Amino acid sequence: MDFDFLPEEQKFADEVDAWLVENHDPEVMDHHRENFTQLSDTPERRAFMKKLAAKGWLGMSWPKEFGGQEIEGVYEYILNEALSKHASPQIGKGVGIIGKTLIRHGNDFLKQKFLPMVLDADVEFAVGYSEPEAGSDAANMQLKAEKVDGGWLLNGQKMWTTSAHFADWYWVGARTDPDKKKHDGLSLFLVNMDNPNLEVQSLPTIGKDTTNQVFFDDVFVPDEYLVGQRGKGFQMISEALDLERFTMFTLSPIANRSEVLVDWVKQATRDDEPLKNDTNVRRTIAHIVTDTAVAKALSTRFVCAAKSGGKPPTIQSSQYKLFTTSLSQRVCKDALDIQGHEGAIMEGQDDAPLRGRFEGAYRATMNETVGGGSSEIQKNIIARRHLGLPKNF
Amino acid sequence: MDLDLSEEQQMVIDMTKAMLEEHCPTQLVRDMEDDPKGVPDALWKQMSELGLNGLLIPESYGGGGLGTLEGAFLYEELGRAMAPVPHFVSCVMSAKLLLAAGSDDQKKAWLPKIADGSAILTPAWLEPSRGFGEKGVSLEAKADGDGFTLSGRKRSVPYASVADRLIVLARTDAGIDLFLVDPNASGVQMKQLLSQGREPQYQIDFEGVSVSATDRIGAAGTGWATFNEVMLEGIILLAAQAVGGADRCLKETVDYANERVQFDKPLGAFQALAHYMADASTSIDGGRVLVHEAAWNASEGRSVARFGPMAKLFCCEAYRETTRVCAQIWGGVAFTIEYDQQMFFRRAKQLQLSWWDTPYLEELIAADVLD
Repeated sequence: MDFDFLPEEQKFADEVDAWLVENHDPEVMDHHRENFTQLSDTPERRAFMKKLAAKGWLGMSWPKEFGGQEIEGVYEYILNEALSKHASPQIGKGVGIIGKTLIRHGNDFLKQKFLPMVLDADVEFAVGYSEPEAGSDAANMQLKAEKVDGGWLLNGQKMWTTSAHFADWYWVGARTDPDKKKHDGLSLFLVNMDNPNLEVQSLPTIGKDTTNQVFFDDVFVPDEYLVGQRGKGFQMISEALDLERFTMFTLSPIANRSEVLVDWVKQATRDDEPLKNDTNVRRTIAHIVTDTAVAKALSTRFVCAAKSGGKPPTIQSSQYKLFTTSLSQRVCKDALDIQGHEGAIMEGQDDAPLRGRFEGAYRATMNETVGGGSSEIQKNIIARRHLGLPKNF
Repeated sequence: MDLDLSEEQQMVIDMTKAMLEEHCPTQLVRDMEDDPKGVPDALWKQMSELGLNGLLIPESYGGGGLGTLEGAFLYEELGRAMAPVPHFVSCVMSAKLLLAAGSDDQKKAWLPKIADGSAILTPAWLEPSRGFGEKGVSLEAKADGDGFTLSGRKRSVPYASVADRLIVLARTDAGIDLFLVDPNASGVQMKQLLSQGREPQYQIDFEGVSVSATDRIGAAGTGWATFNEVMLEGIILLAAQAVGGADRCLKETVDYANERVQFDKPLGAFQALAHYMADASTSIDGGRVLVHEAAWNASEGRSVARFGPMAKLFCCEAYRETTRVCAQIWGGVAFTIEYDQQMFFRRAKQLQLSWWDTPYLEELIAADVLD
């Protein structure tokens, strides 16, 4: 047992950290963006990702034949935690869900077209699984993919596509075989976001960013853009989601919020008394710090399970996601409770405590226990696959 | 970073599991509840023979010389079995107090006997209407010639009836000191206090009890610092014990939820119940790694001033909450003496209230973070 990184892992963590300090840019790195810091949604952030690519830090765990370095996934974990600690964009869907699925299941054309673009940070993806009738019931996608000469014709609607308003390519699940059972009738496609028959409508949120609904009206997708085998879409999606849960919810932002809160509490006063002397405040801080250590323990569990090879760490990732997203919200709620009436002063104003960091974070983290598989879905996974309880829905 | 077990660690787990399965059935645990001695001789002998009582004591004193991490594996199993043994008071707290501050003579006299189980020592610490902190120790040790005279009352002293020596925390002119006291000495009187977890606990009155200067552990006025340091590491093992108890409580409940049918479905097929169990498993699995991280830090010689309290705070609450939700799944039978669930339910709360409770641990963590 060892809770430290290996010397070479620690060296890499230090190197990334130093590089991020050196390359600090407030346009790119902004803690007030909370979870949306991970997106490369502006020219400045895309330029930053190009610099990251030039360092050779994209696709490190990929096989060498596809331009990777075949090093352990723990390096990508270290990298992503460092990136999120500095509130910079993260290696995301391209290296993770999409790149790794293409490597395992994609045809040669797709591999040759997309993998180099991912490694060079020349492409941003959006992922489209959710639909009006397919929320937690992800396998219930109804977006229709009809076989036509030379390709497929897609019709229907996607919901909650985070990056659709700036992405270049769309990774989409669609129903190719309506006569088969619901899990067996789905396939995956890559769709060019420039397609004129796609319509993206933004949905403003109470967080910092927008999400989108996307309408497909006779969108033609050539045959070669079908990913993997027809009918295997849901299998590939499930496999890749195990990876997403972990990369989507890094621990560093929570650790960062805890530190910011502790530093603020140390210097704040109420009725001329130091706030840190308040027993309730002290209790709250003790629990935040303890629960953050537990979240770290659950992430250690995940990373070690992933390192050991074998089965994908589905259970560990579900437990981590369940615990961590709820902690993330609790930290924001507790911070506002500690700040009292001033906690409600809206973010961005100098008169708000910490310029309203926690007022904003309270809103921005609301979605964490829903997106990427809700807490209830995680509990179903843990109950069935970890505890061996019967199907409960 | 890895969570792999060494061969030695795996051996501690396998050996302890096998021994407890054979020598510590639940019926034995029930039989020991409220028993004035509270420890079955055969089980204690087995633990001694397997080297478990000396596990954390250096080899030079006849022990196994293993660290807190190995101790955590042992304690998860002791917690799982609800083993009714004075291991924590004697082989952890007393042994570590002696090791930290005892004289050569004291160490030579007691450590080999603690390691082979032939002597049991227990700290006499808490007092009526007083707390867990330094201020809580008010029992007076008055300088008297070459020695001291002890007067006052101690409460909730575990396994005092089988102890060969008490380690009494007492207040002197210099501060707090630790004294080795023979429970049969003149002026010592004890009476059993029944407790929620049903381990034997005693209230002890000291009326002018004479102890010699050579029975003080450590230099004058250093007793609290010694006790505090030993506690910070010791509570990691209690956190492991909580994880073991919670884990077994949950496993037995999951089995029941798979068998018991209502509304034509097994209980586990109801989300309201399945989600209780999923939450409990997440706390237990996370708590276990936190315990291991704390114990690993202790074994590496790093400070556990924050990790120790965090581990006990989190795991004791995870244990208590697990027993609460499991009772919801068992339904009415959880409330009956006949079923085992109530044994976990009572022990979980007692463990949380003992050896630094929630508010005390919260304050230790807050002080480490904020002050």
